[in-house]
Amino acid sequence: MKFLRNLILSFVFAGAMSLTTSANAACKVHLGDFDWDSANIHTAIAGYIIEKGYGCEVQSTKGSTTPIMAALFDQQIDIITEVWRDNLVQLIEDNLAKGTIIELGVNTPSSTQGFYVDKPTADKYGLKSVEDMKKPEIAKLFADPEAPGKGRMTSCISGWTCYTINMVKHKVYGLDEFYTNFDPGSGGALDAAIAGGFKKGKPVFSYYWTPTGLMGKVDLVKLEEPAYDQACWDEMTKVVEDIKANGPDVYKDTCACEYVNMSLTKAASTKFANNAANKPIIDFIKNYTVPTAVVNKSLAFYMDESDGDMEETAKNFLSNNSMWEKWVPGDVAKKVKASL
Amino acid sequence: MQKYKKILKPFIYSVVFIFLIIISYRSAKPRYKPENFTDIFNDFSWLGNWPKWLDFPLMQPLNSGFDWLIVEYGLFFEGINNFLLGLYTSMKNSLVGLPWPIVIALVVLITYFASGRKTNTTVMVAFCTFFLGFLSPRYWDKCIMTTCIVVIGMLLCIVVGIPIGIAMARNKKVRNALLPILDLMQTIPSFCYLIPGILLFGLGAVPAIIAIFVYAVPPLIRLTDLGIRLVDKEVIEASEAFGASKKQTLWGVQIPLALPNIMQGVNQCTMMSLAMVVIASMIGTRGIGDEVLLGLQQLNVGMATEAGIAIVLLAIIFDRITQSYGEKIQERTQQKKKI
Repeated sequence: MKFLRNLILSFVFAGAMSLTTSANAACKVHLGDFDWDSANIHTAIAGYIIEKGYGCEVQSTKGSTTPIMAALFDQQIDIITEVWRDNLVQLIEDNLAKGTIIELGVNTPSSTQGFYVDKPTADKYGLKSVEDMKKPEIAKLFADPEAPGKGRMTSCISGWTCYTINMVKHKVYGLDEFYTNFDPGSGGALDAAIAGGFKKGKPVFSYYWTPTGLMGKVDLVKLEEPAYDQACWDEMTKVVEDIKANGPDVYKDTCACEYVNMSLTKAASTKFANNAANKPIIDFIKNYTVPTAVVNKSLAFYMDESDGDMEETAKNFLSNNSMWEKWVPGDVAKKVKASL
Repeated sequence: MQKYKKILKPFIYSVVFIFLIIISYRSAKPRYKPENFTDIFNDFSWLGNWPKWLDFPLMQPLNSGFDWLIVEYGLFFEGINNFLLGLYTSMKNSLVGLPWPIVIALVVLITYFASGRKTNTTVMVAFCTFFLGFLSPRYWDKCIMTTCIVVIGMLLCIVVGIPIGIAMARNKKVRNALLPILDLMQTIPSFCYLIPGILLFGLGAVPAIIAIFVYAVPPLIRLTDLGIRLVDKEVIEASEAFGASKKQTLWGVQIPLALPNIMQGVNQCTMMSLAMVVIASMIGTRGIGDEVLLGLQQLNVGMATEAGIAIVLLAIIFDRITQSYGEKIQERTQQKKKI
């Protein structure tokens, strides 16, 4: 009997708790977050402003690109603050056509991705472009212990579109004879592989991108590739999407060029955006834009000073910059400032 | 004296505790601290939320300690890496090079003799092995890679785990010292040692083998320890009465009688190794775990489930072989008892 009574009481208590928490929040926002640090920073900053400034209940879910994007298309996630649009062109355009998402403009105006080599090795052997990599003696420097006779390029995670893009690029550039397109399994593992190479003073050949916290700590040199060309990129994207759908056997000869100096965008689910009550938040996200240099600075703070605390990093950004005050109405900015 | 000891221990603990608090206060950043130390006793607002100055600085020393490990003992880890990797690649290449019917025949032969010529088990294992490639031809080579990693991890566990288990059973002090370490190994999240594993050994098979060792060796050690301690006191007394030395008792009486338990440990060790190999695909370990991860990342439920079934089949194969070998040994020792 006592057990039953306790059980009922605990249910009542839990119910009361959930009532009180949901009663305070006028609105609910579900942010989508990814497993790399620049996305985490934007989610933390936007989340902080929405929570303190607009008084909404913010929930954020972190995951790999595909599941999070799928959740956005499925209207489960409301807003994503950093979308690597050019890597996902096909997917995003399909969904824009279907009307499941709307785009909210550019977040970080320029970001780079490409193939990188550590500076000491690049200087020693004069490695400047992908063509320079196509020599057996160079491939030996980056030897892949599990594939004798080949070098290893740590690439994207196989669920990311750039894994397939890199695979196609390897074939077009003729790198595939010398290097394996090695899937490191997760974002953390890719970072650890690069950082580990530098700590041990070993040659590093990897796909990577900016803005990232790690980029500020290690000295990587970007290899030149054929210059970006829209027609070429579109042709390659078709092959890439085909491979993603039907497996690597459907590879066709194509053109390939460097990753475009791309802008990172923001997106929201249509269901969330069409709700009139959410208009202030959508307006805020539309205005939200942080330049690469500031993102890098925040990432450096996150790595070195925040003790790994994202909220602390967001607060640091908000206290030391004033650009965000233009994104929001005056009263919201006041509330955010008061909470700092 | 006894009374004195009773007070001493709590006293030492509280001194250490206060010392830790002082360290954390001193190392906290100035902006997190009240301007004056005495402010703490005037303004009690810090009792609300956990104050930032009451934060033991463990992350920095761990980081610099780890860097020191890489710089100072890089060669040592390199040696381990090369040894395990050589073992893995030679084993993998020879198995991948063999035609698949021969591999199946080998598995059948091993099962047949390990199970003591049981036809049922052999047929079941043969069927499972065939089904691995039958599910998808891609899986065959990947299953071989996974098997190689699991087998090497298991060998490492057996070579290190069983002697430690025996030492634990024979000495209470060793057991008390090791039990918390085993608890730590079993409960610490696997990513805590997977990511440092990459820094030390690079991406690929070796950090997976190390992770398997950390995750799968505790049950083997525990069951070896338990098995030896469960051997009847009378039996040991009898052997001693016949003038057996400690060494003879161990090898002639304790270990043979504990073998069923030890085999159970080996069996558990295998199952946990397989579970870890799937997680290890997140640090770039090639194998059947890849397929599950890829299916997850592409939201391809069918792909992930199909690969999941392949892993279950692999687990059944390992389980039946080790289990039936254990049963065979048990039958043998029990027969001896009857005589």
